[in-house]
Amino acid sequence: MNPGDAELVALAQQGNQRAFEDLVERHKQKAYHIAFDFARDREDAKDLSQEAFLKAYTNLKKFDGRSSFYTWFYRILVNLCLDYKRRQKRTPTDSFDETLESHMEPSHEPPRPRSPDQQVLAGQISHKVGEALQALPNKQRTAFILKSHQGLSIREIAELMETAEGTVKVHLHRAVTALRQSLAEFV
Amino acid sequence: MAEHNNPLSRPCKELEEDLVLFHYGELRDGEHDALQNHLGSCASCATYLHELGALLPLTVMTDEPQQTFWTDYSREMRHKLDAAGAEKSWRQSLAALFQPQLIPAFAAAAVVALTLTFSGEKGIWRANDLPPEDEALIEALPVAENLEFFKAMDVLDDLDLLEFMSSQGGAA
Repeated sequence: MNPGDAELVALAQQGNQRAFEDLVERHKQKAYHIAFDFARDREDAKDLSQEAFLKAYTNLKKFDGRSSFYTWFYRILVNLCLDYKRRQKRTPTDSFDETLESHMEPSHEPPRPRSPDQQVLAGQISHKVGEALQALPNKQRTAFILKSHQGLSIREIAELMETAEGTVKVHLHRAVTALRQSLAEFV
Repeated sequence: MAEHNNPLSRPCKELEEDLVLFHYGELRDGEHDALQNHLGSCASCATYLHELGALLPLTVMTDEPQQTFWTDYSREMRHKLDAAGAEKSWRQSLAALFQPQLIPAFAAAAVVALTLTFSGEKGIWRANDLPPEDEALIEALPVAENLEFFKAMDVLDDLDLLEFMSSQGGAA
C-alpha cells in the first residue's frame, strides 16, 4: 500500500530525501497546472512549481501538520505565483499573445490544424482572457483560478487562502462578475 | 424579474452570488433546490447561468506537456533537492557549532587565548629556569650592543676631526 502524504512528510522530516521525491511525484502535475494558470507560460510554470517544492523541502521542519501537506504546499505555491505576477507587472516582457502561443503547443508536436479565422479568434480570446485575469485583484484571481480552473472546493480554497468560506464566495462572485463584463463580447 | 436592456443578461440581484455558486455546484441541497425552482420561472437567471456555462470555460487555458517534460521535470527536481540537501547539511553542521550551550565554552577559550597572547608579548610568561650567569649575560647583551654603537660613533667623530685638522693645515 502506498504511504500517505503525512507518512512521507514524517520520513522527509527525518532527512529521507527519497520520501520527499515521492511527494514531488505525487503533486507535480497539479502544482504545475496551478502555476501555469497564473503564469500562462510553460517554463515559468515549471520554475515556479519547482521553486515551491524546494521551498517546502527547506522549510519542512516548520510544517507542524496542523493542515494537510497539500494545503500547506499549495499555499506556498500560490504565494510564489502571486509574487511572480507582481514582479511581472514591474518588468513587462513579451506580449501576452507571443508568450502564450509559443508555449501552448508541445514543441515536438505539430500544432493542431486551425483555420485562419479560428486562429485569430483563439488569439483574441487568449489575449482578452489574459488581460481580464491580470486585471483582477490578487485574492479574486486566486479564488477564481483555484475554483474555476483547478476545481478546488470553497472549503479547500478558504483553508489555502487562510480566510473564511464566505469571503471566498464573495471573491469568487466578484471575479466572475468582472470577467463577465470584460469578456462580454464572447458571450 | 430582471430586465433585458443590456447585451449581458441581468439576473435577479439578490440571487447573483447564489447563481455563481450554483454553477460551481457549491450550494447546499436546500438552497440548490430552491434556486432550481426559481430558474424554472425566471428567464433572466436561467440565461445568466447559461452565459456562465459558456463563458467561464473560455478562461481555462490547459497545457498538457508530453511525458519527456515530466521526466526532465523529475530529474531537475532531484538535482535541486540534492543541492538543497547539501546546503542544508552544511548549515546544520555550522549551526551545531553555535549551539547555545557551547557559546560559554567558546567565550572562555577566546578569553584564555587573548590573555596568553598579550601576557606573552609583555614577557610575563618568559621561562625563568636559566642559570644566574646566563641571565646576567642576557641582560648585558643589549647594553653591549649599545656600547658597540657608541664606539662606532666615536670613530666617526675622530675621522671628522682629522679631516678638519688636515684641511686647516692645508690652508695655513
